[in-house]
Amino acid sequence: MLVIRPLQERDLDDLMTMAEAAGKGLTTLPADRELLQRKIDMAQASFNQRCEPEAGLFLFALEDTELNQCVGISGIQARVGLDEVFYNYRLSTTVNASRELGVHVQTPTLHLTNDMTDTTEICSLLLSGSHRQGGNGLLLSRCRFMFLDDFRRHFSEKVFAEMRGVSDARGLSPLWDALGSRFFDIEFSEADYLTGIGSKSFIAELMPKYPIYLPLLPESAREVIGQVHDNTAPALRMLQAEGFNFNGLVDIFDGGPVVEAFIHNIRTVRESVNRHVLIRHKPLELDVPAEERVMVSNRSFRDFRVTTVPATCISPDTVSLPPEVAEVLEVESGDLVRLAPLKDGGPLPIHTAPGQSR
Amino acid sequence: MWRVRPVQQGDLKDLIKLAGDHGSQVSSTLPKTEEALAARIEESVASFAGQRFPDHYPRFLFVLEDLGRGQVQGVAGIDARAGNGQPFYNYRMDALIHASHELGVSRRVDVLYPSHALTDRTLLGAFAIAPKLRGTEAFELLSRARLLFIARHREWFSERMVVEIQGIQTEDGKVPFWDSLGRHFFNMDFDTADRYSGMLSKTFIAELMPPNPIYVTLLSPQAQEALAQPHPMTKAVMALLQQEGFHAGHYVDIFDGGPVLEARTDTLKTLVTSDRKRLRLAETDGGERCLLAASEGGDFRCILATVSESLNDVLRAPPEVLQELQCESGCDVTVAPL
Repeated sequence: MLVIRPLQERDLDDLMTMAEAAGKGLTTLPADRELLQRKIDMAQASFNQRCEPEAGLFLFALEDTELNQCVGISGIQARVGLDEVFYNYRLSTTVNASRELGVHVQTPTLHLTNDMTDTTEICSLLLSGSHRQGGNGLLLSRCRFMFLDDFRRHFSEKVFAEMRGVSDARGLSPLWDALGSRFFDIEFSEADYLTGIGSKSFIAELMPKYPIYLPLLPESAREVIGQVHDNTAPALRMLQAEGFNFNGLVDIFDGGPVVEAFIHNIRTVRESVNRHVLIRHKPLELDVPAEERVMVSNRSFRDFRVTTVPATCISPDTVSLPPEVAEVLEVESGDLVRLAPLKDGGPLPIHTAPGQSR
Repeated sequence: MWRVRPVQQGDLKDLIKLAGDHGSQVSSTLPKTEEALAARIEESVASFAGQRFPDHYPRFLFVLEDLGRGQVQGVAGIDARAGNGQPFYNYRMDALIHASHELGVSRRVDVLYPSHALTDRTLLGAFAIAPKLRGTEAFELLSRARLLFIARHREWFSERMVVEIQGIQTEDGKVPFWDSLGRHFFNMDFDTADRYSGMLSKTFIAELMPPNPIYVTLLSPQAQEALAQPHPMTKAVMALLQQEGFHAGHYVDIFDGGPVLEARTDTLKTLVTSDRKRLRLAETDGGERCLLAASEGGDFRCILATVSESLNDVLRAPPEVLQELQCESGCDVTVAPL
């Protein structure tokens, strides 16, 4: 069985293995043991509410209970830009017009902003190669929306994700080469790495503060602004299906887009329902295709658990769970759990009747 | 013999020829159409006749006259106040240090800031001369006569002076600085923009020029090389202005990136070394070759002459000198060494 739970001390080795396999592309999880240890500590402090709510870093592990191994990770940063400065470029338009000469010129312009400051970010998604099937990526990503909605007071109304921008097989980014490297004499992969270990705002201090007029950049750089890396296209589609949209901001290094949504508008949130648990000892076929499964969360802040069960388990008032599922979710009969479809267009849990509380 | 005097309506034909000769290769702030030139002459005539700052923004044009042939071979101008009541546009070259203590990095970043700081300084410009006269005494006469005019009418002009020097243009007429920067915002080629700036009000510059500072490192390598560099053809003009005490500061032209030279009016060599004397008729042989200017406003004349000095601040010159200056014996003149 695959289950989502808070990241723990014992996940360090598995995390290190995954980060090493992922290589340079994954900015937020560099293969650095000390750094990963720090992240685990922060996650533990966050789930146990031992840190300021704004400092919360909620990291979720996807555990394969048969292998007793962490095979994936995803995260929520409660607020960005409070400790350090969080930078983006806003892609906007400058118009210069002269009626006298009949000239009207629109110039796309990048403005440096801190617009995402104090906003919740979803981040750090990584799934081990061996488990990239059967909707595991969706579970890892979407479980976060159930957490966000159940514990809204810990987060901002809006959440966002920074999508990885375009770089080639050698790790060279056209935007970095045309812009960032003119101000900071290192390669993109190194800048990206420094970002991952928390030095992004240091680099940003060296970046241009005045607006950048795009016609001054080469074509190769202009065309990647707001575009995602090929490997990130599926993740972008998934977020778009959830209702996330490009908000006009791009990464200051590689030009990757920022997408955002209000929590109450996120599809997983809108389509989820709550049901009381009914533990059923009658054998149940759990192994059904992803299309027919739904996510179940135990709605616990400190011991958050999510797994998937067949949609057929849901009835108008209850959800029937086999004892082994109830055990990993740490729930008993009568507890209220939350259900949401795993796949886009997947079976909806039976709709909440009007007036019924969720 | 050469003489510099205020422009007159009758000079229009000669001026059109000069502006045309100068033409596509060299930009001058002189208008290129007949209509605009005529208007400019009229403006100058009114300025010499007594229109004064602050009610007016006087713009003076002087011509270099070949007295033998009665032909105009050069023109030079002074705008009493740069911008003539409107903003005067330049880029100011400045630098920022982008430093990170944590990363141990410090980097100099060159930036061009749009600037109006030179507005209302006195501007020398509209300089054009027949190519064969470049580097001759006549060339020096035309350029420096303006400074003697300023010396004789000092209160009409500002504390500081500026001159825009033409920037780099390739043999096929391309202007690298413009092509890398201005073209994107003005959506026109350099010649068109240059023509408009000679003809129209400066409003279009305010409307079309990018309002934010420009990072030099984002310009094309050719544009970066051209920044603050004078066109090779301006070498003689530059040399003369530098001798006068003009120096390149931090400002460049917004169109071609050419340097803007600056100076304090009262420390210009011509102003410092010139003297007010009486000029008397006398037969002399020999003496010093110098610049000699006489009379005020529209009667201003300036020539090259050989004069001898006597006691009591009196200069002696033969009759033809007085004739060329159109003044009587005993008149007051300003004299400056070559």
